[in-house]
Amino acid sequence: MSAVNSVCVVIPAYNEGSVIQDVVKDITKELKASSLSYEVLVVNDGSKDDTAAQAKLGGAKVINHILNSGAGSATATGLSYANQKGFDFAITMDADGQHLSKDVVVGIKKAQSTSVDLLIGSRLIDTTGMSRVKVLGNKGLSNITKLLFGVNVTDSQSGLRVFSHNALESLRWKTSGYEFCSEMLWRAKQLNLSISEYPIKAVYTEYSKTKGQNNWNAINIVKSLVKRRIVEIFE
Amino acid sequence: MRYIILLLLNVPIISIAILNIITKFKLRKITKRRFKIQMILWATALVLLILSFPVYNILNGGTPFDSAELSLFDIMQTTAIVFLIYTVNDLRQKNEQNEKRLRDLHQELSIILSDDNKK
Repeated sequence: MSAVNSVCVVIPAYNEGSVIQDVVKDITKELKASSLSYEVLVVNDGSKDDTAAQAKLGGAKVINHILNSGAGSATATGLSYANQKGFDFAITMDADGQHLSKDVVVGIKKAQSTSVDLLIGSRLIDTTGMSRVKVLGNKGLSNITKLLFGVNVTDSQSGLRVFSHNALESLRWKTSGYEFCSEMLWRAKQLNLSISEYPIKAVYTEYSKTKGQNNWNAINIVKSLVKRRIVEIFE
Repeated sequence: MRYIILLLLNVPIISIAILNIITKFKLRKITKRRFKIQMILWATALVLLILSFPVYNILNGGTPFDSAELSLFDIMQTTAIVFLIYTVNDLRQKNEQNEKRLRDLHQELSIILSDDNKK
């Protein structure tokens, strides 16, 4: 796979069997309508349900994690695959259906036209449709990311991110849970990769509300990030 | 005299730590940044150890060399702390290396074993 402007859509998934087929079909339909050469990849992170089978039925290539390793690891596997296959861009999106397919395509086209290394789809530029608790939690984590790592973005926890080939080759992180979202921005800053944002809409269905990050999980994320920041002083 | 014993027990540990860091750097197993920070860390420990006696006396309002002798417990405790820092730091680095290896192995295995690649 080395066509110009080829893009790999990476969808890390854990126990998303009930929605993943629709998510894959939806994004495939949107990509077909664009002029992009693409592959939709679902990284099944050791799901206990039929996520892998449903993703295949939807038309995606599936990589199965042997062990459940967390969102950070699943994303790393997907991006490593995209890098090995020589894609020009990769984009990650959530498997619970909270991201609109048209926002994915907009992101890819924006990354192509601006040649930015890491483009983040921000849900917090326009917060319409988001609950106050979600807005507060995500803004809090973005502020903590700024405080700890000096990276100023509005939505540090967004799962919709576009990676240039340069970012695919160089960007690596150490954490395996949801805290990888903030750590990734830190690593990008260390590597002098350009980071930018664009507004996206997040669709919160009853399903995605139960699957998304709980605000209490933010405490674990912060603990992990602080620990990582301290440990790295001695490295 | 006991201060000398404290130094005799601890300086070798710190020296081994510094030697390990230099060896790892020369063998290109650690980055220049990690080398610098580790050197600063252990050099600070060494300086603090050497200066602990006069600094303690000065902080207590006396002249640098007129405080009471260290007890044997003080010596053992300080040595144990220095040794623990050395061990924990070493184990943490090994643990991080192993975690990275495991993560990379899992990632590569998952990609290689994926259905399409097996065909």
